[in-house]
Amino acid sequence: MGYASSDHGDAPLAVKILIAGGFGVGKTTLVGAVSEVAPLRTEEYLTHASVGVDDLEGVGGKSTTTVALDFGRITIHRGLVLYLFGTPGQERFWFMWNDLVNGALGAVVLVDTRRLDVSFASIDFFESRGIPFVVGVNCFHGVRDRAPEEIRKALDLDPQVPLVLCDARDRAAGRDVLLALIDHLMAVRSRTTRHPVA
Amino acid sequence: MRHWTEGFEDDDADEPLVRPYTITGGRTAPERDDLTLITLVSAIPGGSADTGTGLRRMQPEHRAILALCERPLAVAEVSSALNLPVSVTKILIGDLIEAGRVRARPPLAFAQAGGIPDMTILEAVRDGLRKL
Repeated sequence: MGYASSDHGDAPLAVKILIAGGFGVGKTTLVGAVSEVAPLRTEEYLTHASVGVDDLEGVGGKSTTTVALDFGRITIHRGLVLYLFGTPGQERFWFMWNDLVNGALGAVVLVDTRRLDVSFASIDFFESRGIPFVVGVNCFHGVRDRAPEEIRKALDLDPQVPLVLCDARDRAAGRDVLLALIDHLMAVRSRTTRHPVA
Repeated sequence: MRHWTEGFEDDDADEPLVRPYTITGGRTAPERDDLTLITLVSAIPGGSADTGTGLRRMQPEHRAILALCERPLAVAEVSSALNLPVSVTKILIGDLIEAGRVRARPPLAFAQAGGIPDMTILEAVRDGLRKL
């Protein structure tokens, strides 16, 4: 295939999708539902260097604080592996998102209808960076108390951004959210191919 | 006069038994900045894990990485398996790249360039997800 390369032995190509949203919206749950392995956790130090000009308040000023990242893996085929990374929920860790965003196909922003506001910032982030995303409304508490149009309005969502209802615990539902993102990426791609941006 | 080791225990109370940067010989930054979380690392077949060719001092963690990466693994996966922070893991992987013991395959940078990935890749991901 076109993207296979013989320069790297038989190593597959890695791609990733970010699973974003506020604290407690079910990011790790979604990663775990679709991943072929139990969600893995890795840690990174917060240092002055990595914090950069960000507000140091609450970070402690010493390089002892760590931020945890949960991620999963889906082997697409021998030559292609998809990684799913949950983004750190707390806003003070957002400087890390630049690293996370690099090489990402796109993102799923999970929202909880009871606490839509905790995911506002994630939506803002991807909108401002022009990174394609879909919104997954996590109905894990079994309550579909708000119509999709109402949620869309409350999130002030661009009409082109797909919004899908899901249960982050359910493998098929999680898969469908990821598929919605891929379809969205394909749509965006065919639009930009037809009208190339100078 | 206080001995230089006095007070070390208190300082280390909240730290792991071995401070991770001890493993890297005190280095806190990788020499290469091209390793990402999903850069895939694979051991180059042929080199025995016991011979430290090209590496002056092979740490147990280096050997562990070589063993793990007989199958290509992402930097994040190696970090998770070794229970070491990503930055420390990157330094150790960098050592092994330098020594010619592993090769790294970087991911394609889409979001960086503000681009959308190749249709071939999107189709492959879609087809793979449908089989889940």
